[in-house]
Amino acid sequence: MASGDREESKCCFKEWMTTQEEDLSELFQALTVEPENIDQLKQLAEKSITHFQDYIKRRNKLAHKDISAYFAPNWCSPWENSLLWVAGCRPSLFFRLVYALSGSEVESNLTEFLLGTKEGYLGEVMSSTQLLMINALQSKTISEEERLTMKLAALQEDIADQPIAMIAKGLSKVGEMNGEVEKVLDNHGRQMVKVLEEADGLRMNTLKELVKILSPLQAVDFLVASKKLHLCVHNWGRQRDQKLGRKEIDEEC
Amino acid sequence: MAEICYGVLGENEASSACETSARAARRRRMEIRRFKFVSGVAAPAESTVNAEKRKRLECCTVSRGMEKCGDEEKGNLVKIESQEGVSSLTISSKCPPTSAPVLNPDAKFGMVSVCGRRRDMEDAVSIHPSFCRGDQETANNLHYYAVYDGHGCSHVATRCRERFHEVVKEEIENKALHEWQSALERSFTRMDMEVTAWTQGTVAGANCRCELQMPECEAVGSTAVVAIVTPDKIIVANCGDSRAVLCRGGKAVPLSSDHKPDRPDELNRIEEAGGRVIYWDGPRVLGVLAMSRAIGDNYLKPYVSCEPEVTITDRTAEDDCLILGSDGLWDVVSNDTACGVALMCLKGKAHAPAMESEGSEVENSDRACSDASTLLTKLALARHSADNVSVVVVNLKSNT
Repeated sequence: MASGDREESKCCFKEWMTTQEEDLSELFQALTVEPENIDQLKQLAEKSITHFQDYIKRRNKLAHKDISAYFAPNWCSPWENSLLWVAGCRPSLFFRLVYALSGSEVESNLTEFLLGTKEGYLGEVMSSTQLLMINALQSKTISEEERLTMKLAALQEDIADQPIAMIAKGLSKVGEMNGEVEKVLDNHGRQMVKVLEEADGLRMNTLKELVKILSPLQAVDFLVASKKLHLCVHNWGRQRDQKLGRKEIDEEC
Repeated sequence: MAEICYGVLGENEASSACETSARAARRRRMEIRRFKFVSGVAAPAESTVNAEKRKRLECCTVSRGMEKCGDEEKGNLVKIESQEGVSSLTISSKCPPTSAPVLNPDAKFGMVSVCGRRRDMEDAVSIHPSFCRGDQETANNLHYYAVYDGHGCSHVATRCRERFHEVVKEEIENKALHEWQSALERSFTRMDMEVTAWTQGTVAGANCRCELQMPECEAVGSTAVVAIVTPDKIIVANCGDSRAVLCRGGKAVPLSSDHKPDRPDELNRIEEAGGRVIYWDGPRVLGVLAMSRAIGDNYLKPYVSCEPEVTITDRTAEDDCLILGSDGLWDVVSNDTACGVALMCLKGKAHAPAMESEGSEVENSDRACSDASTLLTKLALARHSADNVSVVVVNLKSNT
């Protein structure tokens, strides 16, 4: 693996984080300054999804050269890596975030609602239809996620089976590399890329479907929260790493 | 799975049937303590409404295309199917409107059943207006509402949803009406036996998580809270920790009492039968099951009993609504709060916003029930309910 590829992969990620930050501030601006400008909200949500799509495409290309870099990226902290599912977030996280966001509104308005001082507000967070559609999407997403998890499990198990395990057993010297080894490992890597592609597809589709179900305002609210969370997780991990005395990840790109 | 049914109508049965779990055979070891398992998945739903000002049948089931939807053949149903998730909703009238449904103005209900923060769906809801057609004129006005909350796997709850109302119907028709207690007790025993026979007899075709493999499927069961609403009575039969609460004159009146292993009389019963209650993440029968009665759970018999407690309540003019819920609701929302929320919705002071696609019928009180069940579900999720949440709200106010 040329070290240039890995550098490029890291740059791809760093640039993605920068895009996330830019999108976040733009979305946040729209949400706080002009929440009534529906067209703008829609357009920004779409833009943000397009950016995500671009990132996925780009890293997919790179992943063909060096897939393992994405399953355990050295540009993220070990803590962040421990949260990864197939080189990214679990798409089922989206639903937990939606429930958390809508829930906070419901609870804080409950007292007023029950006292009758604030009429008709409680329901505004999420309509019945939305709740049901989100539930349906959640179920579909979870079963897909489970399917991919099994696929990944099977691939990980393959390491201890023919042909890889037997090649290892037959080597005269531990860790010896040869053409046969390279070949089977490359082949295994290609299978991993396929799982990554499917997982990215699921993340992308779930996000798109979810944004379709949400109103533009809700969608932007969701995107702001999710981007902020992602950036926080990335930064928290690094800060905790520094406390533990781990070497700071090279920021150069 | 999730569905909303805005109720009504004679011949129809709104069954919230949605099967699931095409999950491949994952032979995970049973995690006995938590005792709530993986399996079901979902189906969403949404209702469309009255053509013409008349109240017509409204009960819609949305289900994922591949899923089987229960007993809905008989009615004039609008069914919304979603093949690719929720993106493409197509409406298809399942039956031609030749069999004009009988107007049944006193079955008004709403329901929501969602997966929530769990990764598997084990709740099931069953609603069958006018489910029983006895000889008596009044029998046409018997409405069936039930919530089943499965544990271990989803198949017992699913089986209850498919069959329980039919068993109850047979038992009621075999008895003089009003022999509620014995009819319901027999129904629960029969349902329990049926589940056992079914799990042992089914060789293949189970599409639940456990795939009915022995011995795991012996450790599967479900709660059942069944409410039969007649013109003058509410009969509730309960087994387990789901609950029925009557909202009467603004106050919460529980119509069932949760079967927890540490309830003094239940504790006695278990110990007299030779069982023990062990505290292991809360009181559990033999340290395993966190409820003392259930349908199924063969290996915990006789300590875990399927005998229901039956309450018969005369309806009064003060009755507002009846709420049935799984513990996903009751663990985080008190009876009083639930009644308060439901009441506000029924009084029309709050409502969930309609999407453009929904015909908004302001005077349709079923809409209010649906709003109430939605708000209660959202409240449960807001309070971080970690379980599946199922809520049925039945409007008991005489026709308005």
